Amino acid sequence: MALASVERPAGRTAAAHPRRTAAVRPARPRILLTTEGTYPYAMGGVSSWCDLLVQNLTDFDWQILPIIAPHGRPPTYELPPHAREVGRIELWSEALPEGGWPRPAERKAGTEIPGVLVRNLIGWHGDNESVLNALIWCRRFPVGVRRIFRSRRGWASFLDGLQAVLAERVAEAGSPPEVDLVEAATLYQTLYWVARTAAAPTPPTDVLHVTAAGWAIIPALVHKALHGTPIVLTEHGVYVREAYLAAARSGASPGSRFFATRLARGLARSAYSYADVVSPVTDANAYWEEGLGIDPDKIHVLYNGLSQPPTPSPPPGTLTVVSVGRIDPLKDVHTMLRVAEETLRYVPNAQFLHYGPVTDGEEAYGSSCLTLHEQLGLGDRFRFMGRTSDPNGVVRDADVVLMTSISEGLPMSILEAMGQGRPVVSTGVGGVPDVVKGCGVVTRPGDAHGLAMAVTTLLRNPTLGWKLGQRGHGRLGRIFNESACVEGYRELLFSAATVAVETAAMPARMAA
Amino acid sequence: MTPHKLSPVHARRVIEARLGREPQDMLEAAVALEAWAGMRALDALGTGRDLMRASRRERQPSIGKLPLPDAQEGLAVEAAAFVVVVISIACWAAPLATTLGAGVVEHGLILALPLTLALQWWLRSRYLGRPKGLAQLGRRPWMLLLGTIALVGIPSALMGLSGTVAGLLTVTWTGGTILIRRRWSLAYAAAVVLATTAMLAGLSALAVLAAIAVATALAVAVAVRSSVTLAGHPPGRMGRAVTAGIIGAGMGVVLVADRSVDWSVGAVPAIALIPSTVASFWGGYHLWQFQYVIPKALSGVAIFNANHRGLGWPPLRILLGAVGRLVLLTALLSAVLLLGASALGMATSGVSVLVGFGLVALATLLVSLLESVGRASWALLSVLCAIAGEAYVRMSDIDPFPGVGLIVGASLAVLVALPAAIGMMSRPARTLATALWIS
Repeated sequence: MALASVERPAGRTAAAHPRRTAAVRPARPRILLTTEGTYPYAMGGVSSWCDLLVQNLTDFDWQILPIIAPHGRPPTYELPPHAREVGRIELWSEALPEGGWPRPAERKAGTEIPGVLVRNLIGWHGDNESVLNALIWCRRFPVGVRRIFRSRRGWASFLDGLQAVLAERVAEAGSPPEVDLVEAATLYQTLYWVARTAAAPTPPTDVLHVTAAGWAIIPALVHKALHGTPIVLTEHGVYVREAYLAAARSGASPGSRFFATRLARGLARSAYSYADVVSPVTDANAYWEEGLGIDPDKIHVLYNGLSQPPTPSPPPGTLTVVSVGRIDPLKDVHTMLRVAEETLRYVPNAQFLHYGPVTDGEEAYGSSCLTLHEQLGLGDRFRFMGRTSDPNGVVRDADVVLMTSISEGLPMSILEAMGQGRPVVSTGVGGVPDVVKGCGVVTRPGDAHGLAMAVTTLLRNPTLGWKLGQRGHGRLGRIFNESACVEGYRELLFSAATVAVETAAMPARMAA
Repeated sequence: MTPHKLSPVHARRVIEARLGREPQDMLEAAVALEAWAGMRALDALGTGRDLMRASRRERQPSIGKLPLPDAQEGLAVEAAAFVVVVISIACWAAPLATTLGAGVVEHGLILALPLTLALQWWLRSRYLGRPKGLAQLGRRPWMLLLGTIALVGIPSALMGLSGTVAGLLTVTWTGGTILIRRRWSLAYAAAVVLATTAMLAGLSALAVLAAIAVATALAVAVAVRSSVTLAGHPPGRMGRAVTAGIIGAGMGVVLVADRSVDWSVGAVPAIALIPSTVASFWGGYHLWQFQYVIPKALSGVAIFNANHRGLGWPPLRILLGAVGRLVLLTALLSAVLLLGASALGMATSGVSVLVGFGLVALATLLVSLLESVGRASWALLSVLCAIAGEAYVRMSDIDPFPGVGLIVGASLAVLVALPAAIGMMSRPARTLATALWIS
């Protein structure tokens, strides 16, 4: 592959271990936080977590690099003085890349980039090194990216690569679908944006903190390859798993599903390969990450946490069930509605309040929830309350907190419920069983009957609910507290920054 | 909840029940088992792998989702309003020339036409041709205000009265484009008809022109302010919009550079524009379907057929259909115009000028197609060829019949742009991937 000739400082990919003793520490390490559709532009669990770190870790200079779809909205979160946005990668925008234009020989190598990306990001046995070299080329010659993807040769190289991927026969990978040219062109456009994301400049920094093993890893991969800066990857959910779930629920064509999931897998594979530390927020994610091939030595679980709230007050006794979360297929709001319908048969005076907006792009799912709400005849007994700015307050007004997700990392809404001393009824996904242990009820995902029985039991037996709530409050203080979370990241990031300084101080030859 | 293992048969049934189909690969099987059967990740991955190894899955055909066509409601009303506006404005030349002198009006029009076309192309590329483009424009009230003042002030300072006429006409026409985009076509047409009536009734033509320009500017201010939303798509790329503006200005220069067409001799030259303008409206509307016809032509087509010749027929039919509509309607309306003028005993600019305007309309259609898919260099080349051809005719004093400059220039533009447009349409897969969807 012609791109293999791209020069970069080999061997400067120091593997940081979080527990390593810091020999040299930069006074104020710079942390480049790359986000994908979250902080600081959208509300949600990942954004809350980002804000927690950025607000509390004042001994770092935070550089925020969000990857978003252009929407023209101002940031949702206000950054503190020690944090600033260092650019914004707007996918599917019309903005043109700025920077270098390749010489003829380099241009020739560049024409292969669409083919290299499709073979190695979409192919089952893709080569991470080839992906990285292609992305480095894009960073070196940003102007060339658009030219190449708009060229006849770029398209031809892509079609060759795609035919090779579709001809793959790997037993565990199943049979690729017979995609059509519309789907092929859609993938081509997506890969163009992968290349454009790689082409975006990144500022000098000491540590790359990546918040998802997807698009957010792309600028970090290139930066690490060029400067040897260590990567810390935090996964709230497991990116690949969530991509598969979203694709399965989307109703999209087999080809669209195939490309969406394979791209997520390709990006995550690169992320896992080049990250120095992977810090999932729950052990459940760590099992997935191990299963997907991460070296277990790289994994360092850091639980999410909440600040220890004051002693909780008893539940209000109003038979109120509260749920907090986006209206999204991953939250399985349909099951929540069915739980309400069944619970109301036994506790007719109960009321269900759901707080959270419809996820951007999931408006059809939002409509389907309203339709089901009507079909089930829930009326005022189940109300969609929209966005809330006071999640603790709404949870405090609950007798039971309900969650029906089919995918979670370590959900903040459950921690908030525990913080307010409220019992939790939830599906046992991601890190939920580990968190809710002894302070709530966990059922299988989609088990509307089991969830309804648990909610009914707790509504009818408020003493039990209050006892579980108090245990949750105690457990939160012991294990999932905010200061432990913040201190864990402080240590991890300082440790990574120290490794970066040590590596940078090495003579180039030694480093190589 | 106790995590548990499932037999392969049970696991497969759970997956197929939840997905409604066989799993795509071992990861999908594992994700389904974890999400809906409560299986632990490592067990789910192992089971998923075993299931896929044991299965022989056929390749599934897949058809991509097609983009939805834009709704084109109210098009007939807009077209009718547009024709009324063109006819009304055509009637302004005579009263203006009577009041201000033919030279003043001619110079004013020679500046106003290219300037208006430049601004219209620029506005369309940066704002009006985009979702929530009016809202973006509404967020820039100072740009609109200063732009309006500059449009009248600068030409007035440089050219005197003819500059003022050019500025006022440009404000009126460009503002009209914004009002039509806001779907206020009927109100705009009514205002223009009212102004025409006032001019023909003997009111000061310059005062009426100033009044309609001010009214249009105020209406634009209201129109864009009422479109402002909190968030929206960003405006189009400035560089691309400027290129579009240059192309528009170039087409305007092509229109006014022919010395044999005198724009100040009354309504005739402007009325002669009507057949080609109306025809290009129809042709352009038809051509715009190409952005949906191309993906439709590729839907369900396997990727190894990307270069199959037959794929190009549907988009080519759209292109040829647009060209045919433009040519036929121009010919038909021109004939009606000539017959009408002859019946009324009026002098006309002759068949050759109508042919020239028709060719300019055809060139504009093709150039706008190339510009819209990001092939601006081809579009610019076409316009430059047109200007060069017309300049050659003008400098060589070749004058066998009226409109010869228009015919030569526009023909050159068509000769450059048409092969590029045909080439694009005949390779729909590449055009979709490399031009339409990568802007």
